[in-house]
Amino acid sequence: MERGAQPSRLLSIADTIINWSRKYSLWPMFFGLSCCFVEEAATFTSRYDMARFGAEVMRPSPRQADLLIVSGTVFKKIAPVVLRLYEQMPEPKWVISMGSCANSGGMFDVYSVVQGVDQILPVDVYVPGCPPRPEALLEGLVMLQDKIMATEKPSRKVFHLGGGTQGTDRPVLEIGSTKSRDPRGPGYEGIPVRGTSILPGARHWGSRCDLMWTPGARRIELSEGELGLAAEMRERFGERVRLEPHSSDMPTFQVARDSVKDVLGFLKNESKIRFKRLDDLTAIDESARRDTVWNKGLAEGISDAGAVEALSGRERRSRPDYTVVYQLLSFDTARRVRIKSGLEKEGGAQVKTASITDIWPSANWYEREVFDMFGIRFDGHPNLRRILMPEWWEGHPLRKDYPGRATEMAPYTREDAVRRQPMDAMEVSTMDNKGPEGDREFFLNIGPHHVSTHGLLRCIAGLDGEEIKSLDLEIGYHHRASEKLGERQSWHQYIPYTDRNDYLAGSSLEFSYVTAVETLADIRVPERAQAVRVLLAELYRLSNHLVWMATFAHDLGAMTPNFYTFAEREMILDIIELITGGRLHAEFLRIGGLAADLPEGWEKAVGDLVSIFPRRLREYEKLLRKNPIFLLRTKGIGRISLEEAMDWGVTGPNLRACGLAWDLRKKMPYSGYENYDFEVPTATEGDCYARYLVRVEEMLQSVRIIEQVARNMPSGRYVTDDYRYAIPRRDEMLRDIETLIHHFINVTRGMKIPVGEAYGVTEVPRGEHGYFVVSDGLGSAYRIRVRGPGFANIQTLPIMAAGESIADLISIIGSMDVILPDIDR
Amino acid sequence: MEPVAAGAMSPFQAGVFSLVVYTVLVVLFIASQLFLAVWLGEKKKSVEKSRPYECGIVPTGSARFRYPVPFYLVAIFFLIFDVEGAFILTWAVVYREVGFAGYLQMSFFILLLLAGLLYIWKQGGLDWKEALNRADC
Repeated sequence: MERGAQPSRLLSIADTIINWSRKYSLWPMFFGLSCCFVEEAATFTSRYDMARFGAEVMRPSPRQADLLIVSGTVFKKIAPVVLRLYEQMPEPKWVISMGSCANSGGMFDVYSVVQGVDQILPVDVYVPGCPPRPEALLEGLVMLQDKIMATEKPSRKVFHLGGGTQGTDRPVLEIGSTKSRDPRGPGYEGIPVRGTSILPGARHWGSRCDLMWTPGARRIELSEGELGLAAEMRERFGERVRLEPHSSDMPTFQVARDSVKDVLGFLKNESKIRFKRLDDLTAIDESARRDTVWNKGLAEGISDAGAVEALSGRERRSRPDYTVVYQLLSFDTARRVRIKSGLEKEGGAQVKTASITDIWPSANWYEREVFDMFGIRFDGHPNLRRILMPEWWEGHPLRKDYPGRATEMAPYTREDAVRRQPMDAMEVSTMDNKGPEGDREFFLNIGPHHVSTHGLLRCIAGLDGEEIKSLDLEIGYHHRASEKLGERQSWHQYIPYTDRNDYLAGSSLEFSYVTAVETLADIRVPERAQAVRVLLAELYRLSNHLVWMATFAHDLGAMTPNFYTFAEREMILDIIELITGGRLHAEFLRIGGLAADLPEGWEKAVGDLVSIFPRRLREYEKLLRKNPIFLLRTKGIGRISLEEAMDWGVTGPNLRACGLAWDLRKKMPYSGYENYDFEVPTATEGDCYARYLVRVEEMLQSVRIIEQVARNMPSGRYVTDDYRYAIPRRDEMLRDIETLIHHFINVTRGMKIPVGEAYGVTEVPRGEHGYFVVSDGLGSAYRIRVRGPGFANIQTLPIMAAGESIADLISIIGSMDVILPDIDR
Repeated sequence: MEPVAAGAMSPFQAGVFSLVVYTVLVVLFIASQLFLAVWLGEKKKSVEKSRPYECGIVPTGSARFRYPVPFYLVAIFFLIFDVEGAFILTWAVVYREVGFAGYLQMSFFILLLLAGLLYIWKQGGLDWKEALNRADC
């Protein structure tokens, strides 16, 4: 008895010592997938200082880490990479799942998202929140430490005695047996999920929205110039081009399929107003339109599928099967124009049209996206293959008959994560000289898991030594299906999704979205709400640029700015939190105004920021501008000419760094920007240093705007009194029955937006982020198109990086300020 | 050869034993550290774990090929000039003793070095990309 007890006592002492040591020397590896990572990054900066808890600086490589923090949305395309990184970590290892998406898919129950990382690898601690605050992550870390101390018996494993426990020993969960598939939790099995009533094929009786009356969509008067353009087009193309009689935002032309290319070429190079930029290119699947017979039949009560089918063949021809939408912009006159072209299915249900990649090179990715999402083929496209979805994907997600929810599809399992590997670099690369004959050249994958790609971007560099011979980008690792989500969330419910389309710009994106809806339904926003929107947008611009400055410097080897700029960023986030209650995702704007009025004490908080910010910024900036290494690595590196930038649709500071003072806030003012005195900083070189200068100056201009907004804050309502479209103020809602009814309708099934379409865009920190919303007169959008600035900007990366060295690539990516959710959406 | 004056060197003592003990201890200590590092702890081998890490993607091609190393040239140049620094520093110590003749010799040496540096510079040896293209190393 005595002899047996002795070793086990020794072992338990050893257990305690080993556990204690491990507990206070965890080495976390971040796997930054999306929004949550920004909060994770904040956790190791000065205010939160994770090192206090014995978890030092985060590791970028799995070889040096024993704690995997999966922060953010686990996409089906990235899941194999997540699993590989986990497998590559040494024993023992632990996993923290950070944020609702990693825990369960969160608000993204949608085709491209794995509904919880615990389906592919074991998880020790779940940190809830969307995103969790840094404090929550620290709490999760402490929970993990407690778990290590309380439950693990590592010494038997350490000394090879058999038995013992260490690291994660929970099983991977299996759908159906250990995990419920229902996103609402167990117990809802019999209740259908929301949103099915508007999908085609769903046998529902007419929509309640048909009983709701609204005024029609906004109608604009065309200006002289635009009417002139229409006449010019009619003269040139005759019947093949038709000006739509009414539009809500810009002149819209219907063009026959065969003439699209001619018309676009004409508008770019020959017309009186030259439309130099392809703003956006997308498509709409028209098959679920409610004015087609199919749905009319349903509305009239014909529930027999055969009868509806018989009707449908005849009258559905009134609409094309698909519409391709081109949106162009003229820099000289600050005008936009929309070109629409209807496409019919041909034999074998193929839909195709001509590629315009020879008119605008930037159409390359846009057309690939349309092909990926709708299955529309583009004749003459150099490389028409999927771009957002992985190669093995079946179906085209934005077609109306495609299931939107991940929970309607086969569950994603560990086997899928092993089998569905990302494409090999050789297959993706466009490098001419592939393989062993050029025995000095080789491929290097930079990303998707890389500190300097700022998200899930995969660069495939064909290298000769350190020189970049070719660069190909593989995107879509962060495709969160935010366009598909817009088709099932009500108009208001979609607002939180917009924040997440660029998680460093917060309210700026809500701003674009509500602008689009307000344009379409002609909703007037009170002045106070307009001013607060500007205030928030500029605060987020500061916050974004501070993160950019820190990460850019960090990429170039300067760690210090990180710790300083995050301090001011926290100050800004505190103001945002004071006003909105949120940090990254404010979700504060509402259609027609804001969610609430400004709180008490906001002037002082803003005033404090304004008074210290310029001086602090200059101070931090000196760390970089006077640093010879920084200058050597940015000046003359990653150049792009103004011509190219305009042609490729580059927007934001990246465009202004090429010498064009194009800023929507000045050129096409919205929300009262014309009332503020500020300048649009530009630079001429178009290199990394120019982009740096522009952003730094922009911060100072933003502070000027903030100061003016705060000084001249108008009084009055914070939300429109047109309650048909807004969620009423609570005090008014309790006063009369009409408002109460509006409140009830608008927060339950949501309001109806009149039939029509509109584009809303604002200048967000990264450029022009726009929403093209199409309404079919329902409680949710028929189609929402997100025009992210990153998608156009990043497409120029190969041009900037050609011939540079691999180290310069890091500098270039850093200077471009990329963020993946607005590239992949 | 003159005999060494008494007291110029420390008296010889039979210290081999302590040296041997010291050596054995050092060898044992290092061996134990190496052994513990290898033996202690749980090791799980898998295909994924032994695969090279390349941002989470399976690498393409082999790592055994002629990788051009322009840095190699720069490093060699540095080494050469660095070693020559040793001569110059030694000269500084005996500056007074070697006098003006030494000064001339050293000046000649430094000029020669400068000429070499200029030659390398002119040949593009310090230029990263140039070195890459011509050296074929």
